[in-house]
Amino acid sequence: MIAANREQTMKNRSPAILTGIALLASFAAQADGGNPMVPREGAIGYVMTDLFWAVYQTPDAKQECPNGFNPGPREQFEVLFPDSEKRTVVDTQLKQEIETWHPTADPDSFPFYEAEGPLSYGLNLDGKTGPNDFTHPDGEQGIDNEVYRAVACIIGFRGPVGVEYIFQNKAIADRRYNRTMIELTGVDDLTNDDNVTVTLYRGLDRLLTDATGMKVMSGGSQRVDMRWGAKLIRQTKGKIVDSVLTTEPIAEVVIPWMNLNVPTFQIIRDMRLQLKLTPTGAEGLIAGYADVDTWYRQLIRNDSTHHLSNGQISGISLYKALRRLADAYPDPETGANTAISTALDVKLTQVFIVHPSGEAAVAELIAHQTAD
Amino acid sequence: MFATVMGVAAEPDRPDTPGSVEEYVSVPMPPGFRVEATELEGPVFADASGRTLYTWPSHKLRNGYSGETQGNPACYDEVRTVTAGLMSPYPPGILLPELDSRPSCTDLWPPVLAADDAQDIGKWTVVDRKDGTRQWTYDEQPLYISVLDNQPGDVIGGTTRRYGGDSPANRVPVGPPPRIPPGFAVKTTTVGRLLTTDKNYSVYAYDQDTPDTSMCHADCARTWVPVTAPAMAHAQGEWSIIERSPGVRQWAFRRQPLYTNVLDPRSWSLEGSDVPGWSNVYTQRAPSIPESFTVQDTLVGQVLADSRGMTIYTYVCGDDSVDQLSCEHPNDTQVYRLAMCGGGDPGKCLKSWPYVLADIGTLSNSRAWSVINIDPKTGHHAAAEQAAAFSVWAYRDRPVYTYGGDQQPGDVNGAGTGEWRAQRNGLKAFWLRDDYMGGTL
Repeated sequence: MIAANREQTMKNRSPAILTGIALLASFAAQADGGNPMVPREGAIGYVMTDLFWAVYQTPDAKQECPNGFNPGPREQFEVLFPDSEKRTVVDTQLKQEIETWHPTADPDSFPFYEAEGPLSYGLNLDGKTGPNDFTHPDGEQGIDNEVYRAVACIIGFRGPVGVEYIFQNKAIADRRYNRTMIELTGVDDLTNDDNVTVTLYRGLDRLLTDATGMKVMSGGSQRVDMRWGAKLIRQTKGKIVDSVLTTEPIAEVVIPWMNLNVPTFQIIRDMRLQLKLTPTGAEGLIAGYADVDTWYRQLIRNDSTHHLSNGQISGISLYKALRRLADAYPDPETGANTAISTALDVKLTQVFIVHPSGEAAVAELIAHQTAD
Repeated sequence: MFATVMGVAAEPDRPDTPGSVEEYVSVPMPPGFRVEATELEGPVFADASGRTLYTWPSHKLRNGYSGETQGNPACYDEVRTVTAGLMSPYPPGILLPELDSRPSCTDLWPPVLAADDAQDIGKWTVVDRKDGTRQWTYDEQPLYISVLDNQPGDVIGGTTRRYGGDSPANRVPVGPPPRIPPGFAVKTTTVGRLLTTDKNYSVYAYDQDTPDTSMCHADCARTWVPVTAPAMAHAQGEWSIIERSPGVRQWAFRRQPLYTNVLDPRSWSLEGSDVPGWSNVYTQRAPSIPESFTVQDTLVGQVLADSRGMTIYTYVCGDDSVDQLSCEHPNDTQVYRLAMCGGGDPGKCLKSWPYVLADIGTLSNSRAWSVINIDPKTGHHAAAEQAAAFSVWAYRDRPVYTYGGDQQPGDVNGAGTGEWRAQRNGLKAFWLRDDYMGGTL
C-alpha cells in the first residue's frame, strides 16, 4: 500500500523532479534509525548495471591458454577458401553461415583451445568435487563453470577489450530491455540475516547517472515492468552472512539480454546469487546451468559474423565446444546434456523499486511473485 | 510556413477512424506524373500508368557506400557477377549465385526516362545517364519504377519504414510531403502512418477532449504536454488550433488536441498509449490484418501472430553486389533463404520456418496482405493448378512464416535469425509495436 501510494505520487511528477527526489533520497539512503545497514521497512532494491560471463584471466593468458587463442570466422574462412574468388557465394559465405545457424556437435575441423589450469571463478553448483571441477582462486573446491572452459581462450570474451565483454556488458546499462532488478524484503540487517526474500523483476526506466551519463548513481527509481515483463518475475529465499547474500536456487530464470537490437535472453536453470551487499550497491555472481542452445542463439542473434570476427569468435567451433562441455540436464531421449554450468560477474546499484498500484495490478504482481 | 496548396482531401476524421487517407502538399510535377494513394506508404509519386516511383539513396555499409548520390545514376543493365565485399568479413570477388538467370539492376528497376524536350520543374530535374538516355530525378535522386508493382498504388518494390544501418541499400518510394505543420513528422510503421514530432516522439490524443477544449490541465498537463502552435499559425484542412488559455494555443489534428508524453523514454516510443484514454495518432491506418491472425504480447512489445498465437516472421534479404539486389521475393533467387531457413534443404525449411498457410478460398481484404501460391520445393511462385503448391499468406507479396523454435504465444525466438541480425539475409518478427528497438526491426 505504501509502495502504491508512492507510485501514484511519483506518476504525477516530471522526470526532472523525480531525479531530484531520487538524488535527495540517495543521500538519505533508505535506512532506518540512521544505520545504513538496516533498510527502511526491511526492503532494498538493486538494479543491474554490469553482467558478463566470469572469466579467470592471468595477465599474459599463458596459464589458462598455453596454446594461444582460437581463430575466428575470418581466419577460418581464409584457411578454408584461399581461392574464394573462384568459388560461389553458396560454396563459401553461405556454407559458413549455414554451419553457424544450423550448428552441429560433429567434430570440429579446427583445433579448439579450452581453458587449462585448475582455477576458475564460479560456485559449486552440485555440491560435489569432481575431476572436471575447478578451484576458486580463494581455494574453494568443486567450482562448476564449463562455460569458462569454452570461452576463456576466445579473445572476444576476455576483458577489458574483448568485443563481447565490451558490448554485452555495456548493453546491460544502456538498454531498458535488460533492466533486471533484485529486491530484498524482510531484511533486518544487510550484515547478517538468516531469512530474506529475494524477488527478481524487470524495470521500465532509464538508469540514474551522474552528469557525465557514464556512472550509474544509487537512489534512482525504477517502475516494475508489468506490461511486458511480468513473466520474468521470480522469487526465492536467501540468507545474509557477513554482508554476503546467498540465495536458494530458482528452477529457471530468464535474463533479458539484448545487445544489438535483437530481443534475446539467457535461460539459467538452478540459478542462485552470491552478492556482497552494501546500502548503495551489490556485486558478485549469478550462477547456474545455462541452456546451451539459448546461450548460443543469444550470441549469434545479437552479433553478426562481422561482430564475431572482431572477437575471433567462431560460432561454429564454439557451439561444438558448448555441446561437448555441457554437464547438466540430459535430454531424456538422447542422453546428451542440454545445459552447461556457468557463472556471471554482476554488479548492481541501489534503486527505489516502484511497485504497481491498484488492486488488480497488485494482485497480478503477487500472483507472479508466488508462481515460481 | 504551412503550405496553402493541398492535395486530395479526405473527409476530416477522428484520429482512429479507419479509412482515413493522408493529405499531402501539392507540388509542381512534370506532365504525365501524378500522385497515388497507397495503403502503407501514404501518397506517392507515380508515372502516367500509376506505377510508384522509387529512389535509391546512398547508404553507408561496412566497407563502403552503395546506392546513388544525388544526380548520379548508378543502376544500369550490366549483370553483376561477383560480390562487392561491402559487408565484412567476407571478401569481395566471390561469384554470385545463379548467374545464368541473374537480372541486371535495370531489369528490376527500370529508370524513369525523360523525353528529349523534358523541362525541369520544381524539385523535378533531368540528368544524363551514361548510356545516353535522360532520367527524371526528384530532389536530385534518380527515379525508377519496380517490376514488382502491378497496379496503381502498389508499393511492393520498397518501403520508407526505418531500417538499420547494416540493411542493404534499399529502394524507397518517394512522394509529396505530408500536409502537416512545421514541428511534426509522419513515420511509416506496420500499423499505419504515425504522427510524431520532428524529433520522432509520438504525439497523442485524449478521449476526454472535445474539438474545442482540452480536458488535460494542471497535473495532467505536466505529463501530457500540449503541442503548442506559434502565434502566426492558422487552421487549415484537418489541422485546427484551440486556445487552452489566453495566448496559449494548441495544435489539434482531425479535431483532437495533440500532446506529447514526458514519460515516453525515447523517440519512437508508443508507451503513452498504455494509459487509459490516450492513443497514438495516425494520418492513415495500415489495412486490417487477416481475420484469422492474432496479436500477442512479448517481452518487447506486440507482435503479429497466426491463429494459434504463434509469431509471424518476414524474410529480409539483399545481396552483396554493387547493385544490392533483393533476394527476398519469390521471383528472386532462393539460395539465400534456403540456406538460412534449412541449411539449403527445402524440406528442413518447411519444418523450421513453415509458411503461414491460407485456407482454400481465402481472400484478403487489402492489397498489403494477399494469398499467393508457392512451390514449396523451390520457394518460387507456383501456378494455381500446380500439384502440391501451397496457398500461403503474403505481406507485400512476400510469404510470411512461423518459427519451429517458438513454443508458445508470445515467443519471438526466431527474431534476428540470419546474417546481420536478419537485416540482410534472415527473418524478422512482424512487430506491431516495439518499446525497445526504435522501429528498426
